[in-house]
Amino acid sequence: MRVLLRLSAGLIGWTVAFCLIYALHGLGCAGAWDASRFRWAMLVAWGISIAATLGVALWLTRRRRTGLDRAAAALGWVGLAATIITFIPIAIVPACA
Amino acid sequence: MSALKLHYQLHAIWRTEPGWRGHLRSVNHSDMGKRFIVAAFVFFAIGGVLAMLIRAQLATPRSAFVGPEVYNQLFTMHGSIMMFLFAIPMFEGLTMYLLPKMLGSRDLALPRLSALGWWCYLFGGTIIIVAMLAGVAPDAGWFLYPPLSGKTYTPGINSDVWLLGITFVEISAMCAAIEITVTILKLRAAGMSLDKMPIFAWYMLATAGMMVFGFPPLILGSILLEVERAFGWPFYTPELGGSPLLWQHLFWLFGHPEVYIIFLPAAGAVSTILPVMARTRLLAHGAIVAAIMALAFLSFGLWVHHMFTTGIPHMALGFFSAASALVAVPTAVQVFAWIGTLWQGRPDLKLPMLYLIGFFIVFVIGGLTGVMLAMVPFDAQAHDTAFVTAHLHYVLVGGFVFPMLAAAYYWLPHITGRERVLQVGEAAFWLIFIGFNMTFFLMHLTGLLGMPRRIDTYPEEMGWTWLNLLSSVGAFLQAFGFALVVIDVLLQIRLGRMHRRNPWRATTLEWAMPIPSPTYNFASLPVVASRDPLADDPDLGVALARGDGLLANGRSGWRETIAVDMTSGTPEHVAILPGNSWWPILTAAMLGGFFLAMLAGLYVVAPVFVVAVVGLGWCWAWSNGIRIDVGPVPIGNGLSLPTSFEAVRTTGWWGSVFALCASATLFTALIFGYVFLWTIAPNWPPPALIAPSLAGPLLGVAGAAAAVVGSRSGRRTLGLAGQLAIVAAMVWLLAAAPSPSSHAYGATSAMLAAYAIFHAALAAIMYAFLIARARAGFHSQARDGETRIVRLWSDHAAGAGIAVIALLALPGWLA
Ligand SMILES: [Cu+2]
Repeated sequence: MRVLLRLSAGLIGWTVAFCLIYALHGLGCAGAWDASRFRWAMLVAWGISIAATLGVALWLTRRRRTGLDRAAAALGWVGLAATIITFIPIAIVPACA
Repeated sequence: MSALKLHYQLHAIWRTEPGWRGHLRSVNHSDMGKRFIVAAFVFFAIGGVLAMLIRAQLATPRSAFVGPEVYNQLFTMHGSIMMFLFAIPMFEGLTMYLLPKMLGSRDLALPRLSALGWWCYLFGGTIIIVAMLAGVAPDAGWFLYPPLSGKTYTPGINSDVWLLGITFVEISAMCAAIEITVTILKLRAAGMSLDKMPIFAWYMLATAGMMVFGFPPLILGSILLEVERAFGWPFYTPELGGSPLLWQHLFWLFGHPEVYIIFLPAAGAVSTILPVMARTRLLAHGAIVAAIMALAFLSFGLWVHHMFTTGIPHMALGFFSAASALVAVPTAVQVFAWIGTLWQGRPDLKLPMLYLIGFFIVFVIGGLTGVMLAMVPFDAQAHDTAFVTAHLHYVLVGGFVFPMLAAAYYWLPHITGRERVLQVGEAAFWLIFIGFNMTFFLMHLTGLLGMPRRIDTYPEEMGWTWLNLLSSVGAFLQAFGFALVVIDVLLQIRLGRMHRRNPWRATTLEWAMPIPSPTYNFASLPVVASRDPLADDPDLGVALARGDGLLANGRSGWRETIAVDMTSGTPEHVAILPGNSWWPILTAAMLGGFFLAMLAGLYVVAPVFVVAVVGLGWCWAWSNGIRIDVGPVPIGNGLSLPTSFEAVRTTGWWGSVFALCASATLFTALIFGYVFLWTIAPNWPPPALIAPSLAGPLLGVAGAAAAVVGSRSGRRTLGLAGQLAIVAAMVWLLAAAPSPSSHAYGATSAMLAAYAIFHAALAAIMYAFLIARARAGFHSQARDGETRIVRLWSDHAAGAGIAVIALLALPGWLA
């Protein structure tokens, strides 16, 4: 079970970030939060997600004994890349238009 | 013991009974796999006939062949049948048949569960087809969007047929998902660590995992829509605080992963067959495993790309666009690995290879048109035209049907034990390949000329006539091709010469047995040291048949196979699997009764069937277990292991874990629905909230605490009382809630409470079962597997109870 968890860890990080940021976005728009504060909240959430998935990727990279460990490490970096790329709209698109 | 005597002993234990008893009672995975495959092909043929009728209608302008009412049923049923009754059951069948053989096991982990799934599939599919013949088939599109599918616009039972029939069939998909996951994780050959597992098992592990998390949102959506239609609870009605968008979210939360749930098994077949055809090994095994995992996760982050025109803010659309683009990367990784494998090998143009080439061509074209559709300006033009229909057929037929045909021709010798006769298969391939491209390549052009999807007729002046006529001719060519495939298979069964073992010189374990395979697969179980056991020892099959492996005996008449440690593949215990049984078919029949009663609107009769299902479940569970301690038993090679009667974590325990994962996903989707409606839907906040009170919530929390303590300390009566207290607390809260039909708030609250009541009641019944079993002598210090399983269900019920109390009581307190 541990190997499977390590294989999934990076992408679980992305999944959790995706759910939280999408929920935050939905709540913010529905509640008509103050635009600039909302934007900052989104940016902070994105930053925390990137830091967290980076941490996971580094942690997975430390251990590379078997082929599956190496796959897990690669997937850690995939999780980080996905977290960066998926939420680029936060930086460039107006929040609730 | 001589090889022949061993065979007779094992055959007596594992055999399917002759005649009708065998048909009704068998739980053997080879039987189940073959039945799923044959039934799925029959449904494919029915779906194909519907496609022919659609093409006949569209062949000429102003066609009077069928009217719009029938035409709507035709395309709805074509889509629904191909998705739910063909594609999913087809790969389930292939997997059920192959997986234990590939992993070096004698059967699937939970054989009676797969039998239950089979009967649910057969009964559910039959209900849908009979409804179609009776002229009341679903007609609101395969995605059944409300409000079109709601009571106002579809007053008949057409939508109910879809909701109830498909949900019934989904039970079989959930059974298969749990079954496949547990089998891959626990029932492997000794020494088969995760990284020595055949690549097909990785694909199926990801697929089954996706099914565990992907299907519950659809099942929930269907339950809510059916409850709205039957009892008027307004989940999707905006006037009363519902929202049709909730259906779209729940449907596509399933619907997009579904595309990959279908694609991954097919890709697994490609990754297995291609290296054998190219006489080499699969390139970049680790990268492919990583790509599979990435696909399994990323494909859940795209569902909203089916809802781009529903007014969701642009930033959120951006998230889903980016994820949609990302998901192409792992697919590309696989395609490059396949090309590299072909490059390094010496491909042999046998029939399976021909289908793989067909797959490459069609799938790549489908991918390219997908990229075209991902360009927003192009999509705005092509949206809802025949171009999209053409694209999705290139992806689905290219990505699923062609690989499955390759798989069929690759593994048919295993099933029939015979060689192909003549060159009928090659002729069939060319008919299918040319016919398919003729139909759907031209449809791209018709789409670009502006022909919309789902129209039943068009005027001559549009200039679509010739393209449509040629498309229809292509469709009929394709149909002839599939008919030839059937003829080819029948010829092979009837006239083919007996085949030698391992005709393709493959390296995976399913070829280390006589073909057609005996019911028990292996006379003795292999110990493997690499990913290609048959390359290490080409005569492995003979040695195993001689009894040189593990568990080479038929002691006590038990169906035995080895359960291993998940990661390392070290043997852990001897799994004693259940034999042929009436319980699966009886349970499926009672479930069928429930669904039919709901369909007929006999809401008073339906609960009777629920009671029957509970009673049958009790008897079913009672038929397992043993009243004496067995202790460790020898497995060969001087090793001894405990049996599953005395194991710590049995396959049943793991099955419960994944069943609860699925249930927790459904619960999460329900909470999502509650929060979604509260924040997004019109006409909120509701006119009245649940009045704040202390007694109800306290009773529930105390019950949950009692359940947790009871399950841990072995005080079963305390656990039982705790679960009943949770039920009582829920009833208390519901009594204080506004009526479910008055507003979506009341409806979702009632649904949340119903979820908690269902699980608490189930756990209470399980405690009652434990008490009875302990009295009957089924438990001992060593034999406490049932207690461990009940603890899982009891803890889940307690947790769900507390979550529901918080969700229901907090708004009233905060307001
Ligand atoms: Cu999609």
